[in-house]
Amino acid sequence: MNFFKIYKHLPALIVLLSVIWISCRKETPIDEDGLLITERAECYVSNFELLGTDYLTVRSKNPVIDTVACTIQCEVLFGTDLKNVYPQFTLVTDAKLDPKITGKTDFSDLSQPKVYTVVSGNRKVRKPYKVFITVKTP
Amino acid sequence: MKKNRNSFSLLMFSAAVITMGTFTSCEKKDYAIPEPKTNFQNDVIKRSLGPAVAGTSIEFAYAMALGKMNGKIVSAQVEASVTGAPATYLEHRSFNTNASGQDIGVIVGTPSTNNGNTTLVNFTVDTNAATLRYYYVVPSAGKGQQVSFTFSATSSTGEKVSFPMGPYALSKMDMVLDLPVKENAACYISIADNAIYTAAEAALHPEKIDLVYLFRNLPTVAFGHALVAPATEPIYLQGAVLPAGVNRNALISKAGQLRDQQLARLQFGIFIDDADFEKLNIAGSPNYAINMKAQTGVWVETADKKYRAYVYFNSINDAAQSAVISIKRYPLQ
Repeated sequence: MNFFKIYKHLPALIVLLSVIWISCRKETPIDEDGLLITERAECYVSNFELLGTDYLTVRSKNPVIDTVACTIQCEVLFGTDLKNVYPQFTLVTDAKLDPKITGKTDFSDLSQPKVYTVVSGNRKVRKPYKVFITVKTP
Repeated sequence: MKKNRNSFSLLMFSAAVITMGTFTSCEKKDYAIPEPKTNFQNDVIKRSLGPAVAGTSIEFAYAMALGKMNGKIVSAQVEASVTGAPATYLEHRSFNTNASGQDIGVIVGTPSTNNGNTTLVNFTVDTNAATLRYYYVVPSAGKGQQVSFTFSATSSTGEKVSFPMGPYALSKMDMVLDLPVKENAACYISIADNAIYTAAEAALHPEKIDLVYLFRNLPTVAFGHALVAPATEPIYLQGAVLPAGVNRNALISKAGQLRDQQLARLQFGIFIDDADFEKLNIAGSPNYAINMKAQTGVWVETADKKYRAYVYFNSINDAAQSAVISIKRYPLQ
């Protein structure tokens, strides 16, 4: 008799235990983009790529990234359509970029280097990187 | 306690139902060889892919069959809602595929005749089954229209079957294939004419020249094979002297990995269709594309906004300073 009474309340018991388990879990903080905020304070760019409209690299050689001065020097091929290029940043683990890259970007104003800010995994360190583009000429 | 007994009864009843169901489903059934239909039947499949560009063909396979005792096939015909180009035809051979995967054609009738929008094959052999292929060659006059087809066959008893197909859109595009271009020779490209001109010819129609093909082997930068608008900056013309009046501009945007099947005629299953040109936005693109490689291409929009085009490099030859290009062109107006 008692055995059947316990089974009758089993679903309610499961729900109760689930609620207790969920409420006891440690909070996992996320930022405004829904990304996990971690404890990492590292904040740097490890690689930079620039793709043309044909999705092939337009760099003529590897970029020079100065993580102290926070600059990226990138030389591109002669004839590159700098108004329509796709930049790609490789960042340290858990870091993110601000502003976000959403598609083609205009890098044609060589006198005004674009600035992208790297934000560390703990979201407490912000480092603005200047991207200097030069075009290889004949 | 009474409640528990009820639960037990319900459980036993469910078990009995499941057992009976299992027993019934395992029962052996007598197999009967299906009787083939003997009435006159037909069916069609479309064999070709990609946009129906003028000059290309839409291919169908038309199968028809009737029972041995119901007579024989005497004719097959296809009626198109838009009259095809004169090269349109219906095969007078019936195809089957052998064990090696090869298509074997067997002559079943006289070569097809086109009468207006109808293509007809009269059978000359006594057969009650055949599969004929139909090639509808897209006419230039049909650009931008929709075409539908009615496939039909007649038996010796007068019975007739038919099968509708379509509608299919006929592309607004034009296509020209394998145009040879060569540095300092036939290097003036007219999108308006879909043709290549020499300097002397270009001088006669300077208003039609949209692009110039160049080849330069420069020591410090990769220039190679290039397509530039006549109005581009001198640095991208690299000393080329253009005929008087050749000064039009164009927007040119490099495209990656876009090897259109109809232009490349290789294994690539990519087709540039009317919709691609309609949605294309290359505003802000430069008026040059340098260092082009084989099997790459460029989107082009003419300065007068009359045409958008895709120019594909089928092959390049550095030693001969030449290339072979193919063009798909879409009229905007």
